[in-house]
Amino acid sequence: MFKDNLNTLFSHQLKNTFLPEVNKYTEDELVSLLKIRDQSAFSYLYDNYAAALNGVIYRMVDEPQLGQDILQEAFLKIWNNFSQYDNSKGRLFTWMINITRNLTIDTLRSKGFKKQQKISHNEFSVGNIQDKNYSASGFDGIGLYKQLSQLKPEQKSIIDLAYFNGYTQEEISKEMGIPLGTVKTRMRSAIIELRKLMDVN
Amino acid sequence: MKETDIISSGLLELYATGLASEAEMLEVEEAVSQSPEVAEEFSRIERSLEAYAFNISKLPDAAVKHNLDERLFVNTVEKGNVVQMDNRDAKVYSISPAWKWVAAASIILLIGSAILNFKYYNEARDNMAAKEAADNSLLAQQTELDKMNSNFQVIQSKYSEPVSLHGLPAAPDAAAKIFWMKNTGEVYVDPSNLPPAPAGKQYQLWGMVDGKPVDGGMILDTKKGNRYEIQKMKSFGSAQAFAITLETSGGNPTPKGEMYVMGEL
Repeated sequence: MFKDNLNTLFSHQLKNTFLPEVNKYTEDELVSLLKIRDQSAFSYLYDNYAAALNGVIYRMVDEPQLGQDILQEAFLKIWNNFSQYDNSKGRLFTWMINITRNLTIDTLRSKGFKKQQKISHNEFSVGNIQDKNYSASGFDGIGLYKQLSQLKPEQKSIIDLAYFNGYTQEEISKEMGIPLGTVKTRMRSAIIELRKLMDVN
Repeated sequence: MKETDIISSGLLELYATGLASEAEMLEVEEAVSQSPEVAEEFSRIERSLEAYAFNISKLPDAAVKHNLDERLFVNTVEKGNVVQMDNRDAKVYSISPAWKWVAAASIILLIGSAILNFKYYNEARDNMAAKEAADNSLLAQQTELDKMNSNFQVIQSKYSEPVSLHGLPAAPDAAAKIFWMKNTGEVYVDPSNLPPAPAGKQYQLWGMVDGKPVDGGMILDTKKGNRYEIQKMKSFGSAQAFAITLETSGGNPTPKGEMYVMGEL
């Protein structure tokens, strides 16, 4: 019951906070418009996804200005390479976070940073959610914190390292001190847990 | 790999979190495209991660969107959801002003040249027609002159013996002239003063040789201007007199028609 309330609250907040125009375009409509290089669709894309992608960048990049530069480059790349996006191979956000993540890693690497640079800040935490910059409309970070706290730390960690920080299986194995062969099965069980919490089943 | 196998393998999760190798990605894409069940499972994994990512959202500086608008839609005045033409895509290539002037000048010169061409062509065509007309006229005059010259030669020749043929009762006002070349026996007739031959009739010349009429040939009634031409007839070695009768067209071996004029040498 408590969880259901949280989920309702969560999805309500999600829509109000991050998808303010959620009813304006379906993902398919948005993709179709972006394929024909509709400028208002790009604006919509940015308004709805920039914060999420910026959050990913923020996890890896310490310097705010560099983070903003990377976000800008990521959206340029998304716009310029949009013809390459194939929605039969996955969701739009998966494609965009891949671009953003790879761009961030490449940028950091070119500046001599290592991936580990900022991971300690985020370990097992949802700190960013409580960050005062997190949301202009006062997101209920506490509720979400409780919700995500139901993920075991190692489950959250394996997802974060791969999905947000772009670690390879080898790097995850080393970072978490687990056998390489178990990364896949651990990732699966972590995401099964995540799906329950995110109510995506 | 069976649907359930690929779902339980963890490959979908690896793909969604960016951990899959190239080969594993192909395997997942294949399975997703072939099985709606796998596709749905994969979509749920993606959506759970997506929802998770939205929960670590962090609003970026407003400057980022502003910069993007400036870089992507330079000529756009308004921002936001107003649909704007993407000028980058339209690929409007600007031409330097100098070339615009050169192009404009070229077009003006071309048009001017075309107008002059047309004008000169028409003039040349008119001149050509005028020249042709003049040529024809000159040729006609030359022909006429030649004819007159030959007529004059007939008249002026020192061997020319003119014989006047006088009108007979059938045509008292009629007259004709014969020029008989004494040296060659050639006979020319000037039928100018004969009345016009009626349709189906023709004048025929006769020479009186030893009291008998001998055919001297048909007188052509073609006119040059308003005059009958002096024309060459059959030659006579000797003749005492000449006469012209009106015969049926083509003539007769002996005169059958009325005699119009006659004259003795």
